[in-house]
Amino acid sequence: MRKRVVITGLGVVSAVGNSLPEVWDSLVRGREGTKEITVFDPAAYRTKIAAEVSHLDPEAYFSKKEVRRLSRCDRFGLIAFREAWKSAHLDQDSCDKERAGVILGAGSGGILSVEKYFRDFYQGRKKSSPSLLISYSLATTTDHIAIESGLKGPRSTTATVCSSSSASMGVAYEMIQMDLADVMVTGGSDSLCEVSYSGFSSLKLVDPESCKPFDRRRQGLVIGEGAGILILEELEHALRREAPIHAEFLGYGICADAYHLTAPEPNGEGVERVIRIALAHAGIRPEDVDTINAHGTATPFNDIAETRGIKRVFGERAKEIPISGIKSMIGHCLGSAGGIEAVATVMTLETGIIPPTIHYEVPDPLCDLNYTPNQSVQRDVRIALSNSFAFGGNNACLVFKKFSSE
Amino acid sequence: MHDRILIKSPNPELPTPDSQKGHRVVITGLGVVSSIGVGQEAFWENCLRGIPGIKPVQRFDVSSYRSRRGAELPEIDFKAFVKPANLRRMDRIGKIVVSAVRLAVDDSGLNLKEEDSSRIGISIGTGLGSSDTVDQFFRSLLKEGPTGAAPLLFQTAVPNAITSHCAIEYGIKGVNITFSHKESSTEMAMAFAYHLLREGKGDIILAGGGDELSEPLYHVYSMLGALSPGRGKGEEGMRPFSRDRNGIVLGEGSGILVLERLEHAKERGAKIYAEMAGVGLSGSTDGLLRYDLKGDSIARAMTLAAKELDTVDHISAAANSTPDLDRAEALAIQKVFRERTKEISISSLKSMLGEFDGSGGIRACGTALSLYCGMVPPTVGTSHLAPECDLNVVLVQARKKEIRSALLNSCSNGGSNISLWFKQYDS
Repeated sequence: MRKRVVITGLGVVSAVGNSLPEVWDSLVRGREGTKEITVFDPAAYRTKIAAEVSHLDPEAYFSKKEVRRLSRCDRFGLIAFREAWKSAHLDQDSCDKERAGVILGAGSGGILSVEKYFRDFYQGRKKSSPSLLISYSLATTTDHIAIESGLKGPRSTTATVCSSSSASMGVAYEMIQMDLADVMVTGGSDSLCEVSYSGFSSLKLVDPESCKPFDRRRQGLVIGEGAGILILEELEHALRREAPIHAEFLGYGICADAYHLTAPEPNGEGVERVIRIALAHAGIRPEDVDTINAHGTATPFNDIAETRGIKRVFGERAKEIPISGIKSMIGHCLGSAGGIEAVATVMTLETGIIPPTIHYEVPDPLCDLNYTPNQSVQRDVRIALSNSFAFGGNNACLVFKKFSSE
Repeated sequence: MHDRILIKSPNPELPTPDSQKGHRVVITGLGVVSSIGVGQEAFWENCLRGIPGIKPVQRFDVSSYRSRRGAELPEIDFKAFVKPANLRRMDRIGKIVVSAVRLAVDDSGLNLKEEDSSRIGISIGTGLGSSDTVDQFFRSLLKEGPTGAAPLLFQTAVPNAITSHCAIEYGIKGVNITFSHKESSTEMAMAFAYHLLREGKGDIILAGGGDELSEPLYHVYSMLGALSPGRGKGEEGMRPFSRDRNGIVLGEGSGILVLERLEHAKERGAKIYAEMAGVGLSGSTDGLLRYDLKGDSIARAMTLAAKELDTVDHISAAANSTPDLDRAEALAIQKVFRERTKEISISSLKSMLGEFDGSGGIRACGTALSLYCGMVPPTVGTSHLAPECDLNVVLVQARKKEIRSALLNSCSNGGSNISLWFKQYDS
């Protein structure tokens, strides 16, 4: 018998806010976080913007010693985790720590620290600190969270980059199904770094002005950063301790295009397949879906493939389903994109507010769905999907349902 | 209309499990690209002969380090394993893993083209995947600035590129996932694959992983003080459970298992090496670079994995020649098996393969072969067991032994401990 899994805690850090209330308020109002990069010097780049997290003073959260030890990615992850853990009342309620684990998704992880080390090393400058190399592993942020809170359940890190933190939710869900845990910390964290910025830049996938998903003028993504952490909990466990329940996690799908290392399968077959796998796993039909948080990177090819995939699943009804492209506001947060967007999707179910796709002005005949342009809308939503697609055609789709105890 | 969504009926398209416990999962193919042999036959022969792959590092200059050794792969003609059109898009680690997949698929006798591609999946673990490509990309960026950064390098630099290469090479359209969590990366990939097959989410999953020995990796491990002889004294070498162990020697390679639903394997009359019958995952919280110091978490992982503890006759150990891990694992084995401890044969294949995050796939192939052939490979390099590692470690020579079931352990520094449980296949 499959266990029911609910979401009992949410935490988020992004360019549009350092906590859930701030971020959600920004998303609802259509406020964007794109700005000139300060984490590294963007002078030599064709594009100079990113959805960078600013106005976050690490010393408000960590001791000086911790600030030195923690990478930017670790800090975002820990801040979002603490918010999620607290909001789930798990800081007060007791839970069996052996049955509480952490599975996060990673993108570039703490590479920003490693870059600092190797820049100094290769340029023969002053000796850099080997402690920066601790961030070499993508597991570091996951381990920090488990160690800080003494969580002794299953632990791992998914590494499919742009779909990592959606995939991690699927894996975390299975840890509960396998009866290895009652509570799982999941989602992901990621920070800006030069390797990923220059990488996407070299592939000519970065828009120099803003992220304009599904708009005909779109030129690509704006890279973002931050963390989105969710607490998954087995329903009976959550009910027993009277935990706040934000939504139910009904199911997920993970699959591959097996088409190309970077480009999506152009007809949306991979997108269609992953949505169908997720719906089948969740035990629901396409007509039950009320809203979709799109992957919506604003690269020319992704948005067409995603639109086609959605039409393949939903047919004529596709045009009626409000779709959100929140990367227009928070950027593409790579390893944490799925986590942050899952948090937003859960908030949509809780509040009935569907955040907009901003910068939407010029319709593209190849992207002809309802993308919730520029203004959030209020709707009665019961079932919501969140899509994430990654390089190599790594697709993930999550299915959430407004919680009811029936 | 919405009431219907509450019904938790299983997907009608999926076959029904033969019992409430789910589908049985078996190992039907082994693919090994290792420093002691390419292909499972060569690997196993050298494993039983106790021939270590550890030698002075050849692929890059190590003269500036205190350590000199590594277990490197032999020169491999990848054209023999990878489609030529795809070969040029792959970096070295991509070629290594795709070759292991090829060997595993060939070994299994599967014709993937005849299978439903959406019911075939791939689940890969890698600690640092394309570390060499990331390094090349970063150096090109430092030298020439953003305009010099090469897009072709970047697309293979992402950690999941190796998994994508495999999916593209074979048109694998089912589940596709990559894990990266230090020394337990590949075991996680296998544990996840096992669970999905048990639930009937697919017929076949290629599971395992790999890593390569690159210069930046050697540098990082050296700077973090993990390499033998490290900051300590003594001779450089890999000596799991030994009195004079003093750190790790890095290795490289890839191991892939064809995991298959038993019914599917039977239908096609596949050769079955062993059954995968349980997984245990547990975390320890002793510190970011620390193993599970008291062994409690490792003990828990083994107990969760082995549903019938009294049938465990052999353990492929995680022991990697570091003072902490080997002691902790020995302690954990003693805690779990008590008076039976000495009846259980213990081998650490890392003594031959060196240590690397993605070693679990190769070690799992070794465990399956131990069950299938009734042979236990030796732990080489170790001559005198440490008093705190008082176990039945098979030293020097391989041993013939009928094994009912075996555990494969993995422990990451930072604290992810995973055990996989394999049984002799009994029809």
